[in-house]
Amino acid sequence: MKTESKLRTIWREYLERSFTITIPVLAILSAFAISGLIILAWGSSPFAAYGALFSGAFGSPAAIATTLQRMTPLIFTGLAVAYGYRGGFFNIGAEGQLYMGAIASVWCAITFPTLPSIVLIPLCVLASAFMGMMWVLLPAYLKSRRGINEVLTTLLMNYIAIQYFEWLVRVDHIQEGITLFGGEIPKWTFINWIGIKDATQPHPKTALLVETSFMPSLKSLFEGKLFTSLFGGTAFYQELLSTPAFGRITLAPFLGLLAVILIYFIMFKTTTGYRSRAVGINPEAARFMGINVKNTLFTTALISGTLAGLAGGMEVLGTQHRMIPNFLVNAGFDGIPVALIGQLHPVGAFLSATFFGALRAGANKMQVITSVPVAVVYIIQSLAIVFAISGTTVDIGSTLKKKRIARETDEKKKLMAVEGEVSNAS
Amino acid sequence: MTELLRLEKIRKTFPGVLANDNVDLVIEQGEIHALLGENGAGKTTLMNCVYGVYRPDSGKIIWKGKEVTIHQARDAIALGIGMVHQHFKLVPPLTVAENVVLGLPSKREPFLDLVAVEKEILETTKRYGLDVDPKAQIWQLPVGVQQRVEILKALYRQAELLILDEPTAVLTPGEVEELFEVLRSLTKQGLSIIFITHKLEEVMDVCDRVTVLRDGCVVHTVNKTETNTRELARMMVGREVFLKVDKPDLIPGEVVLEVQDLSALDNRGLPAVKNVSFTIRRNEILGVAGVDGNGQTELADVIAGMRKATSGKVVIRGSDVTNLSPLDIIKKSVAYIPPDRQHTGLLLDFTLTENLIGKSYYRPPFSKHGVFQKKVINEFSSKAIRDYDVRTPGPELKAKLLSGGNQQKVVLARELSGQPDLVIASQPTRGLDIGATEYVRTRMVEARNRGAALLLISTELEEVLSLSDRIAVMYEGEIMGIVPGKDADIHEIGEMMAGVRRVGDRTANAGKTEVVKVS
Repeated sequence: MKTESKLRTIWREYLERSFTITIPVLAILSAFAISGLIILAWGSSPFAAYGALFSGAFGSPAAIATTLQRMTPLIFTGLAVAYGYRGGFFNIGAEGQLYMGAIASVWCAITFPTLPSIVLIPLCVLASAFMGMMWVLLPAYLKSRRGINEVLTTLLMNYIAIQYFEWLVRVDHIQEGITLFGGEIPKWTFINWIGIKDATQPHPKTALLVETSFMPSLKSLFEGKLFTSLFGGTAFYQELLSTPAFGRITLAPFLGLLAVILIYFIMFKTTTGYRSRAVGINPEAARFMGINVKNTLFTTALISGTLAGLAGGMEVLGTQHRMIPNFLVNAGFDGIPVALIGQLHPVGAFLSATFFGALRAGANKMQVITSVPVAVVYIIQSLAIVFAISGTTVDIGSTLKKKRIARETDEKKKLMAVEGEVSNAS
Repeated sequence: MTELLRLEKIRKTFPGVLANDNVDLVIEQGEIHALLGENGAGKTTLMNCVYGVYRPDSGKIIWKGKEVTIHQARDAIALGIGMVHQHFKLVPPLTVAENVVLGLPSKREPFLDLVAVEKEILETTKRYGLDVDPKAQIWQLPVGVQQRVEILKALYRQAELLILDEPTAVLTPGEVEELFEVLRSLTKQGLSIIFITHKLEEVMDVCDRVTVLRDGCVVHTVNKTETNTRELARMMVGREVFLKVDKPDLIPGEVVLEVQDLSALDNRGLPAVKNVSFTIRRNEILGVAGVDGNGQTELADVIAGMRKATSGKVVIRGSDVTNLSPLDIIKKSVAYIPPDRQHTGLLLDFTLTENLIGKSYYRPPFSKHGVFQKKVINEFSSKAIRDYDVRTPGPELKAKLLSGGNQQKVVLARELSGQPDLVIASQPTRGLDIGATEYVRTRMVEARNRGAALLLISTELEEVLSLSDRIAVMYEGEIMGIVPGKDADIHEIGEMMAGVRRVGDRTANAGKTEVVKVS
């Protein structure tokens, strides 16, 4: 009896672990299957469409470069949401923090155009991280000290950030500062960041940033002395350098990978992550263990905001080099499904960011070749989210789990019947 | 006597658990039938099958000679079966009458007919000697009266069989006696009662026949007159029980904890602890007896820093720790075993290892500069699992997959492995089976023998009596008296628990003179 129950416990644990991987995979596969039917109804071949989608995402160096570009901000926002969620802070405000991070990067690059790359780029990255953190400060304070629901506050902070940017990018008087109560507000305070708009352009957008602020590409790194002296003679090296797409692959996705490792480390190998997860699981039990729940929540929120801010910085420095309205549609909000499909694990977030990035990168090619509209990828994406989230409550595959669910629902029904006896009046 | 209910070969399984097997049970009309067994013996599951909460996998339920299938509680109620759950199903803001008719059609649909109902209730209460005011609101009533409302609900629905699930768990000794009176008068009117319990004295007090369950099976059904508590205990656990833990006489050492005029509020903001004072020395267990909800939990919380004191002082080894943070108090070598291991004692989604380092993770050698030292932690965790006999396939298992007893061992390992000077144990054996209970108690006495001071809070009087060197009794937030643990007068303690007697600190002198051996 004892060994039997022991084995059963191991088996349950094993199932639980394998489910964390199988659920998102099954969810994505079912999303593709059902979207395939939609494509079929459209009159196209789903296989051809998915083939084009895949080759548009991974089929060529250029495709891979695009996928990497698209997935980079999602890695950061996905990590931001995952870390926050694990720590009991559901950060819906990654979008706003991303905007503020991007604005900070742009402001930095425009304000200090003369700095050398080696100083300017880290400065811009740090600025974006810092502003992301600043933007979550108020919700973090309200949540941890006043118990105000962070979903509401972070969500509303998004609109402030987005409208702030819209205002910045539409105000014309470039060199004039703002005066308030008779005094001029210093240029460096973030209410007075007017001047990032490009006045020469008819459309609202910021000036193109100086090239020294561009995130270095792999190509420019490989052209450095070290690599030339090592591999200068090989044909592969020459071919690599002559591939134009290579110039579009920047350090940004690799910094994303670094962030994944770092967050994994913080989450599971440090006392900070331990406290965050403890509070996220059960704040009351954490308090009984001597953990300062308020401070921990606050720290968790700041880490989350910092990551989301970095997402904006990476996009500006690595890909677009300027900001325009709607410059990165929904990347902040998409951090939520990225994190959830990734089972709130840093590595999972990385994988699901890859999936999301690939969908976007391949969508155009799919539309051009098979005339299946781009919108289909949003159907796939949405279905995957729905399935992944429902998958966490309804486990598929195991009879054992099925049985358990059946029993639990049965119990629930019975309990409801008992209560129904109370509430069913006539 | 005629047979009312007969269960034949009832079997109920949950995935991985055989809850009931081959259970035969006969309930006669007009008897009080005890269903005795340890926690997890399958008593409640069996009754839930009868009440329609579960459906048995196989077996027959025969009601008044006819086989019946009970799909849901409504069927059971229609047959004439009523059940009073451990946690009452009452709506607090409604009156007694409103609660009683809830769910039943009124005679003047669509309007309520409360006046007539109140009259009927008064008649019923008179008939059975239940003293309940039908116009009172539930939240105003003491627990004992709320329980009577539950019984009244069943009677109003013409119940012929009443199932009571551990009805005395929430009652004071006086209320228990009143309940027993009510039960006796009910059976005189021809009702049958199934009384679920794990308390042997209650069986001997009030029941006519006893069925003992162990591991889901019936061990035996006997008439009360033909048995005794000792035999019942043996049937219940399958072996002789030695709940009296061996405890050498020790001379209490220096004062570890000193509480002076401490007061605190409960979660509703009402005074819960009122001017409480006591001291605990090394090698000493101070047991706090009292009915649940008389400020014991709040007292433990205040000492551990989980709750703010409104006045008074808590002094640990000479330094004032009143209202310090929980972490600061942990650092004073204080361990706290919280009353609810599922919600406050453990992080169920954390692994055993993560739980085990819960009180020490922040300091070397477990972490250095905020980074965990995996090797040290794993060694510590394996050792703790070995030392505290936690039955688990591995240290990386999530705590929620362990049984209650093993979960409590994890809490013990976490709290006691650091050799604390002061141990606050709040309901340390609640919900545990006898084996685990014995283990926990032995560990606590070990801590005492090693030189720790223990504050033991328990609503199980038997636990306080068998472990404590001194016993304090709490009633409505006040300490009614502190008496020596040895040869404590159980009636006196019972009266203090009920708030009718106050003796002060009878052990005050024994504590002050260390040369005198405390016996």
